[in-house]
Amino acid sequence: MAGLTLKNVIKRFGALQVIHGADLEIEDGEFVVFVGPSGCGKSTLLRMIAGLEDVSGGEIAIAGTVVNDVEPSERHIAMVFQSYALYPHMTVRKNLSFGLTMNGNPKADTERRVAHAADILQIGELMDRRPGQLSGGQRQRVAIGRAIVREPQVFLFDEPLSNLDAELRVQMRVEISKLHKQLGTTMIYVTHDQTEAMTLADKIVVLRSGRIEQVGAPLDLYDDPANQFVAGFVGSPKMNFLKARIDAVSADGATAVLASDPGVKITLPISGRPDVGSSVTLGIRPEHFVDAGAGDADLTVDVDVAEHLGHTSYVYAAVSGEPLIIERPESRHAGSQDRLTVGVPSRRCFLFDAEGQRLR
Amino acid sequence: MISKSRSLLMRRLALHAALTPLAIIWLFPLWMMFVFSTMSDYGIFSPDIVLVPSTKFIENFLNLQADTDFLRAMFISITVAVIYTILSVMLTSMAGWALARYRFAGRSVVIAIILGTITLPFAVVVIPQFIMVAREFKLANTWVALIVPPLFNSLGVLFMRQAFSMMPSELFDAARVEGVKEWRIFLHIALPLARPTMAALSIILFLASWNNYLWPLLINSKPGMMTAPVALGTLIGLTKVSWGGIMAGAVLLTAPILFVFIFLQRHFISGITAGAVK
Amino acid sequence: MRLNNRIAYAFLAPYLLIFATFWLWPIISSFLISFQNTRVNPWRFAPSMNWGRLVGDPAFYNALYNTLIILVIQVPVMIALATVMAVFLNSPLLKARPLYRFAFFAPVVVGEVAYAAVFRLMFSADFGIINKIIGTVGLSPVSWFDNGTAAMALVIMAVTWRWAGYNAIIILAGLQSIPGDVYEAATLDRVGKVQQFFHITLPLLKPIILFCIVLSVIGTMQLFAEPFLITNRGGPGGATETLGLLLYRQGFTSLNFGYASAIAYTIAALAVAISLLNLFFGREAK
Repeated sequence: MAGLTLKNVIKRFGALQVIHGADLEIEDGEFVVFVGPSGCGKSTLLRMIAGLEDVSGGEIAIAGTVVNDVEPSERHIAMVFQSYALYPHMTVRKNLSFGLTMNGNPKADTERRVAHAADILQIGELMDRRPGQLSGGQRQRVAIGRAIVREPQVFLFDEPLSNLDAELRVQMRVEISKLHKQLGTTMIYVTHDQTEAMTLADKIVVLRSGRIEQVGAPLDLYDDPANQFVAGFVGSPKMNFLKARIDAVSADGATAVLASDPGVKITLPISGRPDVGSSVTLGIRPEHFVDAGAGDADLTVDVDVAEHLGHTSYVYAAVSGEPLIIERPESRHAGSQDRLTVGVPSRRCFLFDAEGQRLR
Repeated sequence: MISKSRSLLMRRLALHAALTPLAIIWLFPLWMMFVFSTMSDYGIFSPDIVLVPSTKFIENFLNLQADTDFLRAMFISITVAVIYTILSVMLTSMAGWALARYRFAGRSVVIAIILGTITLPFAVVVIPQFIMVAREFKLANTWVALIVPPLFNSLGVLFMRQAFSMMPSELFDAARVEGVKEWRIFLHIALPLARPTMAALSIILFLASWNNYLWPLLINSKPGMMTAPVALGTLIGLTKVSWGGIMAGAVLLTAPILFVFIFLQRHFISGITAGAVK
Repeated sequence: MRLNNRIAYAFLAPYLLIFATFWLWPIISSFLISFQNTRVNPWRFAPSMNWGRLVGDPAFYNALYNTLIILVIQVPVMIALATVMAVFLNSPLLKARPLYRFAFFAPVVVGEVAYAAVFRLMFSADFGIINKIIGTVGLSPVSWFDNGTAAMALVIMAVTWRWAGYNAIIILAGLQSIPGDVYEAATLDRVGKVQQFFHITLPLLKPIILFCIVLSVIGTMQLFAEPFLITNRGGPGGATETLGLLLYRQGFTSLNFGYASAIAYTIAALAVAISLLNLFFGREAK
């Protein structure tokens, strides 16, 4: 088992720089999730940790040893790929043992490890089948089994669930979580799905365009996003962003006025001193609206459509053309009228400056 | 609905009426090859039109064997084709693997040269190849001369490269993470997965070697080292020669490969179309 | 992909060695030899000797003329025939498809010598089955080997028989890669079958057909075995002598390697030029 350190890691493909100096500390035994939209560099970063891509600059250290020039096989890592990458022409048993056999691992030990992995993942009956005869979930188990067999210090997962249907995805998510508890090994997991990140991670690393935007525990990111990108990325449905203007600044904080409805004034208890009149963005999550009158200001919106999911309802609406989503739990009538008035609690609101940085 | 099925029937009839005569014309030379091979020379030269086989195939073959050592030539042809096919598949799949799966200095130059020269006719190199092999290496009338020079064929490189680059790279990355050596990744993962492509390539290469005429004609013209097509070719145009015998030879050259063709049509076709349809 | 020179060249080396020795170097060497006087020992550099001879050699012009005649007649006829075969073979209305496929595709695997022998025997003037059949419908027999025009026709027929199926295979694969819903949409738009062929099938097949034409041009430019074996070394009197045959005669009968190399380069240059021209016009019309 081992921790990892990334120091100013850079990746270039020819003239194109895709990772712009990533710094990251991963503790031994931690479950870390790299999350971000496609093309943000999360998979590249993972492949650099695995040694499948060369490091253009900076340092990657595993268990205190710099591994920039160490072959993938010598890094004590195991990787689970998005496509599972099972060898199609080998049985499950052969898939699990292939790497060990090729490296001259003693036969008895290989068999023990394979049996152990099969036991953990309950794939004992599948051992003599080929990947083509397995379902997606079974293939996923075999792919994880192949990683377990290596008894690595670090597990790497590259979007392992994205090829599964929704139901299986939830099931496998739980299993991977259990596996982490059982093995206690460091795991690094790449996904574009923020739900996976929130449910699996001890620590989430949010990436955008090759830069780390924020690192933190899932709920810290939810409660205290560093910028507008993280605020929008974490949480589902995503946070509403409304154009606003700073109306006044006082000892109590800053007061923002919505551009779309100047009647709505919200005072946020921030210590920063933004310029009066400057353009800002007010963020509020759909689930944080309250009943009319119960918040610090009331907002009246034009309802476009409402989705009733049973336990909750989402109202898709607009204020002077600015779209927003409002969640109304326990309400099956929300949005049946053309207009809806809700309360906005100021302690649930965030302010972002024109560059998208959080105003605190 | 009646009129629709009626017009469909008419179309079906017209289609077969057009295609059947064409098919008969196309089969005719092959059928006559077979028929001639079973007729005595006397029968071939008689004024009657004979369209059904007779019984003289063995006699014809013995006549052929008397004119030239055809059995020996067949043996050479088969051996050369088998060895050539194995070697060529080995060489081209290794090269195709390198070009598909590694980044290395000079990669684009190698690819450009192969692609840029693949359409050049063999005629361009036949003179220097002959001078080099026959005069400089002194290899005329040897097995090496028949097998090695034609190995330059770059079709297989492109063919195998295409197959390897279509495989998901995660498969090989997975093995790399597991510490499997590159040549073992090639041998144990890439090659087994490329088996259908190798089958199609093998058939095309075997056929090319089996039917190759110009190069063996130039380089191995000594009796006893001639391939079957060359041996048969020397008889065509001679005055005192058994035509029934020549036809028996033609059947022996054609029948085995036609037989293979019937059963492995799919591989033949994917071999032929590989260059065209991507 | 990681940068890996050593391993890549380890895989590449055996093939590259053969490729360089028996293909790349000869391509260059052939060009150099064409500037040598190879009729003296040792060879001497004589830049204008072979190329000068080529420009004024009636035998070269005869072979060039014959080759171009074959090219201009045989290639279009064969490609048209191959397209018809492919379209018919692709028709869902066809019964006994394997039989027809066999008939058209079988010549592809038949060797040059074997089929040359049969054609020679079938078209023999006195006792050939073709003339016997012609006789039964009351026409006078054709002397296929003594009449220059007939000999040329024979070569064209033979080559067409041998290669039409090959092209049909390629075109058929192209046809099968056209998605069926295109035709369903056209049918719903009340476009007739014939119009579908000319307005959907042919345009979509164009790149494939161009590819076939280029392959055929390269093949025809170096045509050798058919005039060598069927019409008896380019007979009668050089009427079917092709560039390929002239190259063979100069290189391996007269052992005049310099002149043969000049002919070889002419063949290659013409093949490349005609192919490029084809591709160019194919693209223009798009």
